[in-house]
Amino acid sequence: MSQPAYTLEFPRVTLTVSKTRNPAVTLLSAMIYALAVSVSRSPSALLLASILPAMMLKGFPPRYLARLNVMNAVMILTLALTWPDFSDGFRTGMIIALRVNMICVVLGGMLRPLGTGGMYEALCGLRVPEKLRVLVILTLRGIYTLRERYESAIISVRLRAPGLSGLMRLKVFACMMGMILLQSSARSENMTRAVKCRGGFAGFMQGGNSAMNARDWLCVSGTAVYAVMIAVMNLA
Amino acid sequence: MHISEGILSGGVLAVGWAGTVAGVSFGLKRTNPDRIIQTALISSAFFLASLVNVRIGPSSTHLTLLAPMGLILGQAVFPAVLVALLLQAVLFGFGGLAVLGANTVVMGVPALAVSMIFGRAVRVATGRGRVAVLSFMAGTLAVMMGAGIAGIMLWMTDADFAGAVKLLLVAHVPVAVIEGVVTAFLVMWLKKSAPEFLS
Repeated sequence: MSQPAYTLEFPRVTLTVSKTRNPAVTLLSAMIYALAVSVSRSPSALLLASILPAMMLKGFPPRYLARLNVMNAVMILTLALTWPDFSDGFRTGMIIALRVNMICVVLGGMLRPLGTGGMYEALCGLRVPEKLRVLVILTLRGIYTLRERYESAIISVRLRAPGLSGLMRLKVFACMMGMILLQSSARSENMTRAVKCRGGFAGFMQGGNSAMNARDWLCVSGTAVYAVMIAVMNLA
Repeated sequence: MHISEGILSGGVLAVGWAGTVAGVSFGLKRTNPDRIIQTALISSAFFLASLVNVRIGPSSTHLTLLAPMGLILGQAVFPAVLVALLLQAVLFGFGGLAVLGANTVVMGVPALAVSMIFGRAVRVATGRGRVAVLSFMAGTLAVMMGAGIAGIMLWMTDADFAGAVKLLLVAHVPVAVIEGVVTAFLVMWLKKSAPEFLS
């Protein structure tokens, strides 16, 4: 049986909201950690930075980690072969792979449980402009709305033209995309009218208790201190 | 075309964030509040289209669709790219947070540039051949420009990345051609069925 011309690779997502801490703190802390690790090169700094991901590794999907490291292996090989010196390139590749693993484990552990509501609250807490917040939420809503349309369009293409090949495959993809764009435009006009009827974007979606208090700032400061320690070890 | 976390230096990450803040501020200022919903739904359509795995010969690829995004969204493309990359990072674990600024520049600048260079020409073009050639050029240029910006960022991080950058550019040539073809078909379809999309 021939392979399908298109498949929609829509990963599983978490839609729950974490209530344990302020999402803005989580987002900010994750970002500070990622920045600190991104600029670390020395073994001692990387060792210090590995404490947090080591604590979060339990419960991290091993399949995702395996897939990530397949890509890392390709990257290490590419750097080793293209670097002026093979061993230097290999070493640089290994350091990058280690950093990628640490950051991905921490981001996965901290951000995925946030879910969509948590992310919106995080953006509110970080004082992101309302236009951008509305854009985030509506884009997310659109993804779920239009996902079904894509899936049915792909099934339709598979049924009507199973043996697509060459330029025709790209042409059909472009036409499918065009039709979904038209549907999304029609849907957006209806949504705009509905929003206007309800009084516009004023208070479109209220972020919960998202303002950062002293305890939240203390948590962020803790992460910042950890990041500074990593940076100091890196310089040393 | 994503740059992974942990590769770029602190300076390059900072430059990426500065570029993103400037581009997003410009885009948000130029976006009419009445068009926010349309922008959001169109960017969702592009986001999902980039998740569709298109089989090409023995391999398969995900398209970036930067040029159609630029041609349709115009100046609102920068915030749309940032939102798409943020959602990919937070919900699906693709890309990253520290590198979000750099990746937004890698994908947003070509989309905006294509909209500025080819937007008007594509709108006023009449013959099918002329529309196809212009949109093919737009699609190809957007991918190569994105790969070029990613390459510059890698080279700024460490000059020894030069070999990898050359490989990156060469590897993107077939992707650019495929994107050019898809852009040409899509723009020709829109010119015929819904020309208001390109205005």
